[in-house]
Amino acid sequence: MMNIKKGSFMKNAIFTLFSFLTWVHIAHAETNCDAAKTFMSDMGENVISLLTNQSISDQERADQFRTILETQFNLKAIGKFVLGRYWKQASDEEKQSFLNLFKETTVATYASRFKDYTSEKFEIRGCQVEPDGGVIVSSQITRPNGQAIPINWKIFEKKGEMRVYDVILEGISMGITQRSEFASVIQNGGGKLSALNKALEKKIS
Amino acid sequence: MNHIFAILLSFLLLTPSVRAQEDAYSYMDTDEHPGETLEINPQEREEVLNPPSNLEANLEDNDPLEPINRVTFGVNSFLDDILFDPISAMYVGVVPEFLRERVGYFLRNLSEPIVLVNNILQGEMQDAEDTLRRFAINSTVGLGGIFDVSTDLDIPYKREDFGLTLASWGFEEGPYIVLPILGPSNLRDTIGRVGDYGFDSINWWAYFTDDNAIYSYTRTGAQVLDAKSDNIETINDLKTNSIDPYVTFRAWYTERRRSLSSKNEGRVIETAQPEDDDEEDFEDDEY
Repeated sequence: MMNIKKGSFMKNAIFTLFSFLTWVHIAHAETNCDAAKTFMSDMGENVISLLTNQSISDQERADQFRTILETQFNLKAIGKFVLGRYWKQASDEEKQSFLNLFKETTVATYASRFKDYTSEKFEIRGCQVEPDGGVIVSSQITRPNGQAIPINWKIFEKKGEMRVYDVILEGISMGITQRSEFASVIQNGGGKLSALNKALEKKIS
Repeated sequence: MNHIFAILLSFLLLTPSVRAQEDAYSYMDTDEHPGETLEINPQEREEVLNPPSNLEANLEDNDPLEPINRVTFGVNSFLDDILFDPISAMYVGVVPEFLRERVGYFLRNLSEPIVLVNNILQGEMQDAEDTLRRFAINSTVGLGGIFDVSTDLDIPYKREDFGLTLASWGFEEGPYIVLPILGPSNLRDTIGRVGDYGFDSINWWAYFTDDNAIYSYTRTGAQVLDAKSDNIETINDLKTNSIDPYVTFRAWYTERRRSLSSKNEGRVIETAQPEDDDEEDFEDDEY
């Protein structure tokens, strides 16, 4: 009799503990999710106002875009990811110069890609906590012709600071496609990161 | 009947390559007894004998036909430049956006029965019901499909094709293939295209009434034009911003198809992760 009671008490205690832990986990996840949404909507508004501001020069636009990249994205982690195993094989100088070129080509690509955007609307649609601890914030950009482009953002919080780690456009991860492209360029260049660096340099100039 | 045999044959061809790929992956995972796999299949033996630096990338890309594919890709780009792009540009220039959108919706509505067949083949009855309702509503209230009323009624278009159906049945992508004119594909999706062609009632209608073949051709032409004019900006953008457009197209196609496959619904996309050494102060790091 005692045993059964004791057993059920233990069961209850464990159950209560687990529910509490789950609750803490969910509560934590929710704050994370909301914070990530706010982070993204602030950044989205920044970028849209920057891109649609016709009064600034292309140079200024690129500069401000670079600042956003540097402060809101974890460019080093992304650079490391897109290089895959070639990261470990490269020398420090090569890595440093790659990260720099990676940033500059990204600035050049997107500053020109969105040059003719005028009255785009950026909208946060929702968010979801991923098993790896990151948060996916889903958003969409609505173009003036009514076409909506879904964009998801992978965000991690580290030391109280949020950063973007991947951009997923219509289900296509920019990190993965870029990793594929870079791997092929490196392979065709004899397995050296310097080959990719040269190609990126050529692209900017 | 011959067509059916051709499809079956392609299935048989697809299966062994799937096996080889799975084995290779499990070899990558365990990494313990590479010697054992040597007897199992020649493809792996070759991979092991080849410089190991190519192993990972080869598995990731699955593009054994790359030399041929690159030639086809080049020919397609050339055709785009001299033929399709100018025609699309003319179409975009002459026909107002509103009308082009009507044409696009009309063509999409005509292909809705193919989506329905694939919904059923995948056993997705809710999707099948949605597709059926979309087709019924858009064909009537939407004036023969030129207006997408269903999307406003919260039944949005959801793309399905036989390539995705094969994926839901467990078939792997198979090697990447660049098709003449049609562009990026893979073995599974190429077979899928043949299947969808067979599901298309308009093709059957044209087949049995010889006089109507012209409608089928007209529609195919219109479909190509619609697709090209829709994506011309994105495609040119991809081409100019890429170091190696062939690889970029391959990566985009592969990722796009994976994201559309219902088998991957709710998948966690592998991304960069925060690590201890990825702070801005790069110079301080030791490797």
